[in-house]
Amino acid sequence: MTPWINRQRSLADYTLAALGRRKGKTFALVAVYALVVFVVASAMLFATALTREADLVLAEAPELTVQHVKMGRHEMIDGAEITKIAGLRGVSSVEGRLWGYFYDATSGANYTFQVPSDPALVPGPGEAIVGEGVQRARRATWEGAPLFLSRFTGDMVKFEVARTLGAESALVSSDLVLLNEADFRAFFDLPDGVWTDLAVSIRNPREIDTVIDKASRLMPDARFVTRDEIRRTYQKLFSWREGLMIALASAAVLAFAIFAADKASGLSADEAREIGILKAIGWDTRDVISMKLWEGALVSLGAFLIGTLGAYVHVFGFGAGLIAPVLKGWSVIYPDFRLAPLVDGMQIATLFLLTVLPYTAATLVPIWRAASADPDQVMR
Amino acid sequence: MRPSTPVFAAIALFTLGFAGAGLHVLATAPGEAARMEASAALVRAAGLTDLALFTEARYSRHPSMADLHSAFQDAPMSFEHFPSGTFVSPPVGFGGGRLGGSAEEVAQ
Amino acid sequence: MIELQEVTKLYNEGRPNEVAALGGVSLTIARDAVTVLTGPSGSGKTTLLSLVGLMARPTTGRVFLDGEMISGLPERFLTAERRTRFGFVFQRFNLIRGLTVMENVMLPAAPLGEAYGAVRARAQARLASLGLADKAEIPVEYLSGGETQRVAIARALINDAAVLIADEPTANLDSALADRFLEIVAGLRGEGRTIIMTSHDPRIWGAEVVDRVVEMRDGRVVR
Repeated sequence: MTPWINRQRSLADYTLAALGRRKGKTFALVAVYALVVFVVASAMLFATALTREADLVLAEAPELTVQHVKMGRHEMIDGAEITKIAGLRGVSSVEGRLWGYFYDATSGANYTFQVPSDPALVPGPGEAIVGEGVQRARRATWEGAPLFLSRFTGDMVKFEVARTLGAESALVSSDLVLLNEADFRAFFDLPDGVWTDLAVSIRNPREIDTVIDKASRLMPDARFVTRDEIRRTYQKLFSWREGLMIALASAAVLAFAIFAADKASGLSADEAREIGILKAIGWDTRDVISMKLWEGALVSLGAFLIGTLGAYVHVFGFGAGLIAPVLKGWSVIYPDFRLAPLVDGMQIATLFLLTVLPYTAATLVPIWRAASADPDQVMR
Repeated sequence: MRPSTPVFAAIALFTLGFAGAGLHVLATAPGEAARMEASAALVRAAGLTDLALFTEARYSRHPSMADLHSAFQDAPMSFEHFPSGTFVSPPVGFGGGRLGGSAEEVAQ
Repeated sequence: MIELQEVTKLYNEGRPNEVAALGGVSLTIARDAVTVLTGPSGSGKTTLLSLVGLMARPTTGRVFLDGEMISGLPERFLTAERRTRFGFVFQRFNLIRGLTVMENVMLPAAPLGEAYGAVRARAQARLASLGLADKAEIPVEYLSGGETQRVAIARALINDAAVLIADEPTANLDSALADRFLEIVAGLRGEGRTIIMTSHDPRIWGAEVVDRVVEMRDGRVVR
């Protein structure tokens, strides 16, 4: 081992032995610090993973959605509009979509009913494909329990459950009830030839603005929603929630800052005397400062590692159970999803800098004067 | 034992844990990518636009499709007003009934 | 060999509480000998000791160590010289409370970067020779006065200092312990070490082991 390593290790030994004299206080400090890091890191990891998941999954959503707006409210759109938009240059396909909501009074949950656009996914007559959340909400006690729906008192409609969509896609499918077009129209009593909205595919994403521009002249009463806008909505939603979480944590951060500043700035008489002794027995200013650097670095690095690792396990192992109410919100049918583990190096580096550096600096500043005092002071 | 031995060992252990987390990310990535690809395929096949996170209200089930002008969009009994609704969920057990309890009942 | 030429020392220089601790001292301290500085309180013994031990720099005058002038060197170099060649035993011993005997003894070696095992073995041997072998892992506040002093001596010698400097070593000891201390000093002198101490204890400057007594008064050497 090189002298440099020996020296650093011996200095660390001293600082740890000195901290070890107040074990309870030291552990409490690291624990509180780690807890603060844990909360902030959990919020960061959760929001980042959820944002990426939403980004990847929603990349397959239609480029453009067209809604008919009447009296400021969403209305069914006429099938004749399909041909108007399909005729525009750059549009590769236009499809009418049928979807809507149904409040199931028996389970107290809202379902989203939809007719899938891919024929392979369309269920047969009298059949439904349901999301995992639907099964949970209606407490389906056995495999293949039919879906009974009651639209008004005395009414009962039965669908055979052809398939349940798995938990792996719960984030987008949890509350879905997929029906074929005829069943959907019959269930909601919709006339033929009207659609909830139109899904438009556009070959070249750079032409979306042009298409919207032309289409809005043909359909002045339509509202156009692009995939990019949807993506941005979710990014904002998650960073808003992350921000809210960090704002809540900031109270803890502040309390900790006061605690740390009090501990760090109030260099006790005992500590100053000990530094005097170290100087007198042959430590120089740099040795004392290195020793103090070890204290700050070990405490804050320990807290950072414990907090961040804990947050990783918490978010990706236990579904962020502790902070879920704030990060996820609530819902009667909440998707039972696990996030794909993801660590953003930049984010972790930022967290590292924000935790380790200020604390280490805070332990160092008050020591400066004591460390540069004359070595013969203890003799006077 | 030197005081630094257990502490450095703990730090090394946590650093290994970090590396472990990194490996876990890499190891689960293909599976997770396949899962997300399957979800993306469902999004394409069903023509979905939004996440099924907050299913109570139109504006939260389909934030992108919501007509934000309408009143009373939330679930029955829920606080609509921000931010109360974020923190306070509606009464547990509301709408707690069930239709078609068992195979025998349905067969009748 | 340590030589002081016309050394003065002012504390709190330029302030209302300025004190002239030393007023022009010239002194040569021989190698491999036991030198005792004596004199009443405030005569400048301790100040002279800290100048000899490179703890402080003179206000004017020069200090030579083995013929080399060192009084002008910056703190870093002084410390580097001091910690390998001088060992200090302070009047109040100044051990660090809460740390064990072994940890205290090894402290002066920490900045030097020696292998831990070697330093520890040396400390163990020194503690054994001072009759403290079984106390190594005890926190220092549980020691008696005599044991505390011997730990301080062990600490002073951990870097194998050629010069041991002790400030009023017997001030807090009864006569049995003072005799024990003088035995230790004799042993160290036998190892070829130079010992410089202050004392106004007649038991010390009357002792057989002492080679030279320097008497001070009002910041000057009288005899």
